[in-house]
Amino acid sequence: MIKVEHLSKSFGSLQVLKDISIDFLPGKCNMIIGASGSGKTVLLKNLIGLLEPDSGDIWYSGRKLSDMGYEEKSALRQNIGVLFQGSALFDFETVLGNVMFPMNFFTDWTEDQKIERARFCLDRVNVKGADDKYPSELSGGMQKRVGIARAIAMNPDYLFCDEPNSGLDPYTSGLIDKLIHGITEEYAITTVINTHDMNSILEIGDKIDFIHDGSILWEGDRHSILDTGCQELRTFVGANVLARRIIGADK
Amino acid sequence: MIRKFLESVGDYCLFLKMVFRKPEKWKIFWKQFVIETDKLILSSIIIVGVISVFIGGVLVIQTASNMSNPMLDRMLVGYMVRETLVLEFCSTVVALILAGKMGSNIASEIGSMRISGQIDAMDMMGVNSAGFLVLPKVMSATFLSPLLMLLSLALGLLGGWAVVEMTDIIPPAKYVTGIKYAYNGFYLFYSGFKMALFCFLISSISAYNGYHATGGSLGVGTSSTKSIVVTSILILLFDLIVTQLMLY
Repeated sequence: MIKVEHLSKSFGSLQVLKDISIDFLPGKCNMIIGASGSGKTVLLKNLIGLLEPDSGDIWYSGRKLSDMGYEEKSALRQNIGVLFQGSALFDFETVLGNVMFPMNFFTDWTEDQKIERARFCLDRVNVKGADDKYPSELSGGMQKRVGIARAIAMNPDYLFCDEPNSGLDPYTSGLIDKLIHGITEEYAITTVINTHDMNSILEIGDKIDFIHDGSILWEGDRHSILDTGCQELRTFVGANVLARRIIGADK
Repeated sequence: MIRKFLESVGDYCLFLKMVFRKPEKWKIFWKQFVIETDKLILSSIIIVGVISVFIGGVLVIQTASNMSNPMLDRMLVGYMVRETLVLEFCSTVVALILAGKMGSNIASEIGSMRISGQIDAMDMMGVNSAGFLVLPKVMSATFLSPLLMLLSLALGLLGGWAVVEMTDIIPPAKYVTGIKYAYNGFYLFYSGFKMALFCFLISSISAYNGYHATGGSLGVGTSSTKSIVVTSILILLFDLIVTQLMLY
């Protein structure tokens, strides 16, 4: 279980995160939503330890992140899968090499076992026949899929996705959403997704936290988001034509 | 400015501490070491070779043209060319060339990985990105660059010999006698040591700048330029210090 308590983060005089507290649901798709510049990515980077918070604590299964040493953090990170906004696949590795990369470091498996596991993960995200291709030869959607395959290669307990649908067409976005949701349920992973994509939010948001100007203003799920009384969230949701029509139809 | 400089030195030391952490797996380290040796050392052979041959030839002509005094034995041309090559050209000048070639290669490669999130991805897997990416480069550049120095010396002397053979500046036998005259093995060690030190500076400082690149492709360009400027200045500074310490 991941828990955030009174997290604050500033860059110079600009306070980006203000006293944020969240309990993420284990084994579910947890979404952090908000407009661009609201602090979503900074919050995610704090959660995965790429940034140090100014104050507050982050807990992973009862262990405080700030109390962990290098070795303990390294061990935790082997249990975390991350899908970055731009996929961040390694240029110098093929598709298969990218998925095998963490296995090369942290397992004593034979080459055949690693290839078998990598092919299994690639099959799971529907990437076939691209083993020897380099990331630059793949489309954006394929890169995301390979990114997901790499993220789940070590069978992690936690999966973090930063804007998984950015730059993708609506159809491919839907497929990626279903894939993330399916993997979350299948392997009981605690997934945290940063997004401002309303389709994704309505499709797979088991728990949703709305961040506005560095503070959490609303907490709920995909069923209650359209009935919210939070004005800032209504403005955010209402910016989407589809959601506006649904709200209108409900009324 | 002084505070910023001291902060950078401190950051660089912390970066080196990360780089020299024990590799997660030695097998991966050696695989990367071979790849980096190919990229940094073997790929530099042509540029080092071409420059050395031509500089060797030019040194012969320049030295001979400045030794018109009949009291001076013509074999001293070979001697002076050898000393110039071994003491300064093959280490310092070749290192300055490598600062451009090797330094920009390392800074831009690591900088691109930084801005595209690949380094963050490695860190998030629990991999020591600095160790994986930088240690093989630093080790390869430091320990194998003296071979480039030896190659440069051999080709420089060969370039000089080719000029002597093709012209009648001095008799070839005199040139050969000169390059064998008063041989001091310590100078080879001194030159090899300087080359290893300079290539350590080039690889580690360029990697440091690339690793801390910010601001997109512009930041990669800036880190590359900064690496070349800083390492060039440090090469000259350490050349002076090492020469003072080792030769006097």
